[in-house]
Order: sequence, then structure tokens, then C-alpha cells
Amino acid sequence: MKRWQFKTIAGLSAAAAMLATGVPAATASKVPLTGKLHGVTLTFMIASSGTAETNADKAAAAAWGKATGNKVNVINASNFQLQLTEGFAGGSPPDVFYGQTGMFENLVKNGELLASGSLVGPPGAFYPSLRQEFTYNGTFYCVPKDSSTLALEINVADWKAAGLTNPPTTWAQLEADAKALTKNGVTGLVISPSLDRVGAFFAENGGSYMNAKGTNFAFNTPQNVAALGFLKKMAQQGVLKTSAQVDSGWGGEAFGTGKAAMTIEGNWIIGAMQSTYPKINYEVVPLPAGPSGKHGTLVFTNCWGIAANGKNTAAAVSFVKYLASPAQQLRFANAFGVMPSRPAVARQWAASHSATPVASGTQTPSVSAFVQGDAYALPQVATLGFPTVQSAFDSQLTSLASIDPAALLQQLQTNAEALLHP
Amino acid sequence: MAQVSEGEGTRDTGALPARVAVAEAARTAQDRRAPARERLGQRKPTGRLRKGENLFGWLFVSPSVAVLLLFLFIPILLALYVSFTNWSGVTNPLSSSVKTVGLANYKLLLNQPGLYQQNFGTAIRNNLYFVVFTVPLQTGLALLLAVVVNNKFLKAKGFFRTVAYFPSVTSSIAITVVFMFLFQGTGVINTLLGFVGIQGPNWLFDTRGVFTLIYNAFGVNNPAALVNHQFLGLNLWGWVAGPSLGMCVIIIMLVWTTSGTFMLFFLAALQQISEDLDEASEIDGATPWQRFRRVTLPMLRPTLVLVLLLGFISTWQVFDQVFLIGPDNPATITPAYYSYQLSFQDSNFGAGAAVAFLLFCLIVFLTVLQRKFIREDLTR
Repeated sequence: MKRWQFKTIAGLSAAAAMLATGVPAATASKVPLTGKLHGVTLTFMIASSGTAETNADKAAAAAWGKATGNKVNVINASNFQLQLTEGFAGGSPPDVFYGQTGMFENLVKNGELLASGSLVGPPGAFYPSLRQEFTYNGTFYCVPKDSSTLALEINVADWKAAGLTNPPTTWAQLEADAKALTKNGVTGLVISPSLDRVGAFFAENGGSYMNAKGTNFAFNTPQNVAALGFLKKMAQQGVLKTSAQVDSGWGGEAFGTGKAAMTIEGNWIIGAMQSTYPKINYEVVPLPAGPSGKHGTLVFTNCWGIAANGKNTAAAVSFVKYLASPAQQLRFANAFGVMPSRPAVARQWAASHSATPVASGTQTPSVSAFVQGDAYALPQVATLGFPTVQSAFDSQLTSLASIDPAALLQQLQTNAEALLHP
Repeated sequence: MAQVSEGEGTRDTGALPARVAVAEAARTAQDRRAPARERLGQRKPTGRLRKGENLFGWLFVSPSVAVLLLFLFIPILLALYVSFTNWSGVTNPLSSSVKTVGLANYKLLLNQPGLYQQNFGTAIRNNLYFVVFTVPLQTGLALLLAVVVNNKFLKAKGFFRTVAYFPSVTSSIAITVVFMFLFQGTGVINTLLGFVGIQGPNWLFDTRGVFTLIYNAFGVNNPAALVNHQFLGLNLWGWVAGPSLGMCVIIIMLVWTTSGTFMLFFLAALQQISEDLDEASEIDGATPWQRFRRVTLPMLRPTLVLVLLLGFISTWQVFDQVFLIGPDNPATITPAYYSYQLSFQDSNFGAGAAVAFLLFCLIVFLTVLQRKFIREDLTR
């Protein structure tokens, strides 16, 4: 995934613009930190997934503030991207914020993101794939906050009722199991209609989003077409449906309400199941391998962003150091189920959660399937303008059974390539 | 005007007294207006005193002018500037890092084959059908409701007025959520359809146009003559598709919610009309329909123009229902939503602002056109 090379090409024009403002990206890390380390008030904008995450962030902010003699105002944004953009446009961004992949390139290009990657901790302590996600032109801009990967969730009651034993490890088994599980109004497998789900099948089939050199998109490859074709085949048999087809907002809702026996979601589903559907007994297994035996999944991540032009960047770096510390990562993981972005801490967390056998009937499933995925996961596309391209693709996945995989992926490729040559 | 001359023509023959009465009434109404206009005209000449008045006039309105300048005109000008730049939203739009790109954003939407043009075309198509269906329906329903609740023989008027007005004062978000439940795949509507053996579609996400379904029923599908010609990234077959099923739901919802508001407009106007007119024409032997068409409707003309104008402008800006029903749902995407999507999802504020100004130009153009059309139509 040599994504930075690809981004170099995309960002040439912006680099020129940055030179004009006197904030070239490459030297951003040499900008001296501002403000004092004590007695300052930081603003911290978060995009929380729920009460558990908000409380964990607030507790962390309070603990750091108490230990260092500072104060942190936590702002839980209801529309994060809008509020963060407003902050930057108005010249008063939050000191520390969730750096979402979709905004990363834009912030870097405009010199608004402090190159804090190497200031916060040894870069080598984080997963390489996540580090790469936040590296631009060779500079590691912000440390990954956490990671989430996709895995297969199985409803244990449905599984037993269908007389099934071992979880599927190949596409053929997945198809057969989905068939066995589809009955009485329950669909075998339900997924959200999005590239963020079907992309995992691309990876399992040896496909990807980018070409090997990372210089262009590679959506229309035979591997990807075959992967989408496999999903279409399952959809035609009625054993795979999209969440929209079963009146659910996402796969987890279909799974939690019993409309789906299996779904494909990330580790955020743990928190949702605990809070909204605590009675469902389920297990999490790695996604099945493709025909070539290759494992694949997708990884989603945020980073701890620091505003480059803030008045208290010194204190902000100290705060992020605390947030990204191993002990705090473990606390976050336990509080709301995100995976630590440090492999060492992730293994520790998985070990403490893996003692649950499939049929034990407990409500906390093993998280090792999620942690495993970090080793081979495909990261998201961060190219500016990609969200609209992706939604054009996603909107056509709603009725999977009637798609034309090759045409759809060709369209995605054309639209995405247009972003590279504006 | 036509009414008056028609009346004058009939006065000589002495026939059709009802029309005479109407003509008289219309003329009196006009006579009453004319002197007022003259009086206003007389105020024009300026003296020393008048100049002083002007100064104070400006002084008194200056707070609101300042507010308008600050919160309306300056932002509009800034947005116009942004539409010619590559502003990405995370810096000051006037900073030196923002480059002007000329008409590139407009070309991207209008002239350059690709996703932007296609989305923009789809949004315009969706909204066009939305306006074409919503405005006449909401105006017609509002007028009907107003006439019904204005009927002097109707009992419990207050109750019916409240019932008709209730959707208008309810939050559009709440109503949209209710409609989403009604129209979802296994919602109430589809359950009801199921009782009569019809498998309902997934309304909100169905991109198929209503007209397309009708063409298909007659065996017409993807005719080459239409498919091979494109406009704004959509082929002509896409342009004649009619409102998508998703859009139909929003049309029904909008007609239901806004007709109450416009009913109030009509009701106020109806109550301004003197009962004498109605009674006079009744004595003269006019049928109820004639009384409505020849007496009531002409008297409602200013209100009708206003309602149509407001309807046209607001329907071209439909946003919150679209935002809630389906972010990124091509069945219901509209220019207002696409502008938001480009700006805040893609950080492409330049193109987002360009969409807004294209929409602005479209609304101004159609409003001018519509004003001209309606004036001619109603004076016939």
C-alpha cells in the first residue's frame, strides 16, 4: 500500500499553494511548539460513537488535566466534519481532535495538521498499516488513535438450530452456511450496501483498491469483478441481502433484531450489541478466505489530530501522548471496544478477551478475530473527493442481485480516476 | 381587465346581469386602488423637508440594513467568490492559499462528462419533477381546503382548520421520520399493498421513475433514440423518467405538510372578499361553479400569485427531507443536498458553491418566467 506515492501525485498542486503560505508540509514538524505545558485550557473535539466513548474520552481528559495542571474542554460534535471544518475556516479549530481519514489529506495539504507523529511516540510502536494511513510525503503526521477491522459475526442460536458446526473458512462454506441459515424470515448473511463491506471480498480474492505501486486505483481488476460476482450470486439465491433490503440502517441492526443470522461488521458492533441487543448470543470469527486461500479484511482508523496553528501545541502534544499511551489505549479498548493501535497492547487486549468458546452463551465474544485482521487488512481510500465517488457506487449496491459487477467497477474506476486528474 | 371590458360589452344588451354585477365589483375594486397609487405618486416630489425624511428613513432602517448586509449580502458575495476558487473549507477563504480557478467548478458541473455532471443532472432532474408535481398539487389542495373551511355552513370550523394546519406546524424532521417508517420496505404502506396481493417496492431507495414504469407497462424500454442522447450527464431516457418512487414519497409528504400553510393564505384572502359579491351574483343566477370561477378566483389572484411564487422557490430548495431520508441516495438527491454533499463530504466548497449559484440562477430565471406566465394567464 504505498499510498504516499500516490498522494504525492495528487497533491502536487497543493504543495505549491503551501509554499506560498510559508507552511511547506515537509518542514511542518520543525515548527516550534507553542504555549506553556501547565495552566492552559485545551479544546478537544470528538466524534463519539455513543455514551461509553464520550465518557471514556471525558475521563481521560480529566485525568490528564489533573495530572498536569491543565484543563480540557471536551466537545462531542453532533456533526463532526461540519463542526471541525467550521473551526478551521473560522481560524479557531479545536486543539486536539479525531483526525478522520476523509479529512486527513485536506488538512495536511493546507498546513493545518501538526506533524506530531514522531513527537508523540516512537512510530514503530504502531501498526505499520495504520501508520501509513497517516503518512504524507514521508512525514508521519498523527498517531493512529485505534483501529477497527471487519470480521464475521454469527448468531449462535441460529447456528445451532441449523445444525452447523465449524465456522466458514472458505467462500464455498460461507455460501453453504448462509443457505442453511436462511429460513423462517431470517436471511443467512446481511451486510451494509457499501464498498466498506464488499471491499473485504476484493481483498480475500487477491484484489485491492490501488495498484501495486500505489499510483492509481485498481477497482476494475478481474479479482474484484469475481468477488462482486460471488456476492451477486449469493444475493440471487436470496441468502445474502443488504441491510436496506431488510429495513435496517446497518448490518448490526439486522443482526441484532434477528433478521440476519450472520453479518460482517467491525469491532464497533460489540458496544452496539451490549447496549442495544444484549440478549443476542453471538460469536466473531475471521472472514473466510477467498478461492486462493488468501485472507482479507478492511481496516478503519482515526488519528489524534493536533491543529498546527493552535496556541497551545506543546500542551496538546503532551495530551496526545497520554491518550496514545499503552495504558490509556487499553482503557479505551475495554470501555467501548476499539482495538489498540499498538500491536503489543492489541495482543494484550485480545488475550484478556479470548477465553470465550463459541457456545458458552456469554455476551462478550472473542475479539481475537478483529485483532488478527490488522495484519492483512486493506486501508481506506483517503483521496480528496472520494466520498462522493464511493456513495455513487454504494447506492447501486442496494439491490445486489441485479447488479452488473464489471460495469459497476468500471464506473467506480472511471469516477475515481477523475479525482486524480482534475 | 378582461372582466371589465366584457362587462361593458354586455351592459348595452342588458343580458347576463350576473356578469355585470361582477364587472361592477371588479371595477370598483380597481377604482379604489387607482387613487391610492396616485397618492403615492404625489409623494415623489422632493423638498427640503422630504430630504430630511429620507435621511431619517435611512437612519431608522439602518439596523436592519446592517444586519442584512452582514448576514446576507456579504456571505452571498463571499460564496460567489468561493465558487470561482478551489477553497477546501479548512482555511480562511480569503487567505492566499486559496486559488481562483476561473470557471472550472462550473465547467465540472455543466460541461465535463463525469460523476459531478451526472450527479448534478440527476439532482436537477429529480427536483424538476418534484417542483412540477408539488407546486400545483399543494396549491390546489390548499385552495380546496380553504374554500371548504371557509364555507359558512360548515360546523366545527376551528377543528377542521386546526386539523389542516397541524402538519405545517409539526417539525419537518418528525414528519419525515414517520413517513420513512410508513414507506420502508416492510412498512405500513407495503403491508397494506400486500393485503391486496401487491408486492410493494422499497419506496425510498427506488430510483425507477414513475413514467419509466408506465412506459415499461406499454413495452417501451430503453429506446435507442433517447438512450443515445445525453444532456447534463443523463441520457434523454433518464430525463423523461419522471419522479423516482423515492421522490414521490417526498412529494406526497410536502403536499400534505405545506398545503396547511397555504390554506391559511387563501383563507385570509377569502375572508377579505365581501359576502355581498357572492350573494349578488347568486341573486343574478350564477351557479356555484360560476361564482367560484368568475368571482372568487379573480379576487384571490394576488394570493394565488404569492402562493405559487413561494411554492416554486421553496420546492427548488428542498433539503431537510432529502438529508434525512437518504444521505447519498440517488433516488432523492437534489441540488441543495448535492451542494451540501460536495462541500462538507468532499471538502470541495468551490464546486458546492457553484451548485448553489446555478440553482440560484435557475430559480431567478423560472420565477421571472412564471410571473410573466401567470400574469397573462389570470388576466385573460
